[in-house]
Amino acid sequence: MGTVHARSMDPLPMHGRDLGVNPDDLEVVEAEQETKKEILENKDVVVQHVNIEGLGRTKEDYLGYEISDVFNAKNLIDVMKKSHEARQKLLRLGIFKEVEVLIDISEGDDALPNGLDVTFEVTELKRVTGSYNTMVGNNEGSMVLGIKLPNMFGRGEKLTFQFSYGTKETSYGLSFFKPQPGYYERNFTLNLYKVTGQFPWSSLKETDRGVSTELSFPLWMTDHTLKWEGVWRELGCLARSASFAVREESGHTLKSALSHAMVLDTRNSAILPRKGALLRINQELAGYTGGDASFLKEDFELQLNRPFLWGSVLSASLWGGMIFPVGGRPTSIADRFYLGGPTSVRGFGMYSIGPQNEGDYLGGEAYWASGLHLYTPLPFRSTRGGLADLFRTHFFLNAGNLCNLDYGEGPHAHLQKLAECIRWSYGAGIILRLGNIARLELNYCIPMGVQSGDRICDGVQFGAGIRFL
Amino acid sequence: MSLAAEAFVSQMAAAEPWPENATLYQPLREDQILLSDCASSLAVQAYLRMCGLPVRVCCRANAEYMSPSGKVPFIHVGNQVVSELGPIVQFTKAKGHSLSDGLDDVQRAEMKAYMELVNNMLLTAELYIQWCDDTTSSEITRPRYSSPYSWPLNHILAYQKQWEVRRKMNAIGWAGKTLEQVYEDVSQCCQALSQRLGTQPYFFNKQPTELDALVFGHLFTILTTRLTSDELSEKIKSYSNLLSFCRRIEQTYFEEQDRDGQSGTSQLSKGPSLI
Repeated sequence: MGTVHARSMDPLPMHGRDLGVNPDDLEVVEAEQETKKEILENKDVVVQHVNIEGLGRTKEDYLGYEISDVFNAKNLIDVMKKSHEARQKLLRLGIFKEVEVLIDISEGDDALPNGLDVTFEVTELKRVTGSYNTMVGNNEGSMVLGIKLPNMFGRGEKLTFQFSYGTKETSYGLSFFKPQPGYYERNFTLNLYKVTGQFPWSSLKETDRGVSTELSFPLWMTDHTLKWEGVWRELGCLARSASFAVREESGHTLKSALSHAMVLDTRNSAILPRKGALLRINQELAGYTGGDASFLKEDFELQLNRPFLWGSVLSASLWGGMIFPVGGRPTSIADRFYLGGPTSVRGFGMYSIGPQNEGDYLGGEAYWASGLHLYTPLPFRSTRGGLADLFRTHFFLNAGNLCNLDYGEGPHAHLQKLAECIRWSYGAGIILRLGNIARLELNYCIPMGVQSGDRICDGVQFGAGIRFL
Repeated sequence: MSLAAEAFVSQMAAAEPWPENATLYQPLREDQILLSDCASSLAVQAYLRMCGLPVRVCCRANAEYMSPSGKVPFIHVGNQVVSELGPIVQFTKAKGHSLSDGLDDVQRAEMKAYMELVNNMLLTAELYIQWCDDTTSSEITRPRYSSPYSWPLNHILAYQKQWEVRRKMNAIGWAGKTLEQVYEDVSQCCQALSQRLGTQPYFFNKQPTELDALVFGHLFTILTTRLTSDELSEKIKSYSNLLSFCRRIEQTYFEEQDRDGQSGTSQLSKGPSLI
């Protein structure tokens, strides 16, 4: 028997799911494997040795967990499949530039007639890598310079330093990441950062300096993150003309918060999904561990997608959240919720719904928003794939409300308040997918249920976003 | 907002009469405010009382950051926010209230010169003693300044402020001075003020001006504030006409006005009394 190069299989992208593997690609790989199964004979084999070549600073024990499964293979197809899986796992660790698999018959004294040796030829990433990229966030762009030290101590540790210069903010951050050996999804992150943000809809300028520690782990189908964050926040007015309500919030505060996030994501793509659901629940308790801010904040996001007629997709989403001040201290303008904009309640100005003072939006303590979309492929497209696949047209119906709550009134009154004066809008537009992390939208919107003080965008509205209703 | 638009808005605001709900913001009186801020705040209060403009005093822990210039005190009048004595004097003048209209050009120049003297000498000396004298800064200034904040922010902000003031002292050449030299400067400043005042009730005879408000704010605050040593207030006490000047303004504009219960000015806010 000769040598089988696992290279013939589709090369996998180097990043994890969240960094933009297009799940469509994965489906193609599976299909290819099935055709091979018919061609190759099912002969029993024993995997005798598994070698990893090309290791420099990486500790071997760290990789043992990823490749141990290859020993359990019983026939050639199995060996190929498991080697492929091991290769995938190795690449996901983010410490190798390239991983090649070489399967050969065993040689040497102890070689069995049906023995196989599997060799992973790896190329480690450089000790220090630099990067330069541009980012698009919610209606802003920035230039990011980064330095990365992957696999710092040989067991998958990663140190990242980022400096970002943007249209609205300048910031830097230092982050240390450490996965649990053999269980990459269970990891620990330590962050140090300074973030500066300008929020013209509130005439507010915010500088945050903080430390956070994060623990991520999967549990059944969900991903969980536990986080503690200590942040020194400096709020200021963006201009002399800022309203007095914003001026009153200026100054320094310290927030120490424990938070938990749970994500259940069964969608096939994060930006233009065809099927599946997303449920994200966030909760944050501030003040319990010290600091000046004390509140309990609950926030959720739900999205359901299902294929509809002629390749179109029907999508429904619902957001909601509430912040409860604890200990009689009012909530800060930096912690409250904001609503409106080209990727939330369309047809309204960016975060320009709800309580305001002299034209500066102050945010609300409770909100809900929902959206109903019908996504269709572009009309008259020639072939499947290509550029046209990045585009969709959509028809949407959005609704939502944002308000402050008086805590003496009881839950029934709160619900009633949220059900009054609902802002809603409808329209149609074109969506462009940017990688698998963001999308651009150009919509024609008709806002309805406009309340006095809301800023509307009647007609064409353009926006970009990573989170959308 | 563009500069022209801003100027237009302040022109419009100038035309409006002084509202009843004008508010003066300063740091917390009991636990936070420092000698220099207290003096500046009292100067503005004295000035507004001399003009007969009612103002309500409001204490906020973040007053310094609310102020558009980063300095206290500031007043919120209608939808305008103005900080520090100089701009406030301009602002009231635009609304038709002025104390120095009766002065001729020479007197006005003299008044400005003395105001500069007070700001350059007394205010700077107060800042020096607060932040550059190690005993005062560790026992009084830093604990008071950082009192509204929780650990570790209290230390960060206090040291940041101290560093900022010391840098300013370096820039104006005060960093090399000893405490004795600073006391000597204060003494000289008081001597100059005492000579100018002479036996007149106010610096420009019968009518008080913004100079009187400024001098009163600083001297009164120094006299009534307990520091680690009494030396600063002793320097002032040796000038009897300055003492009676402070007493006169206190009686005329704070005690009498409060006794009369004139609208809006009933909140006495200058703290302890001279007697």
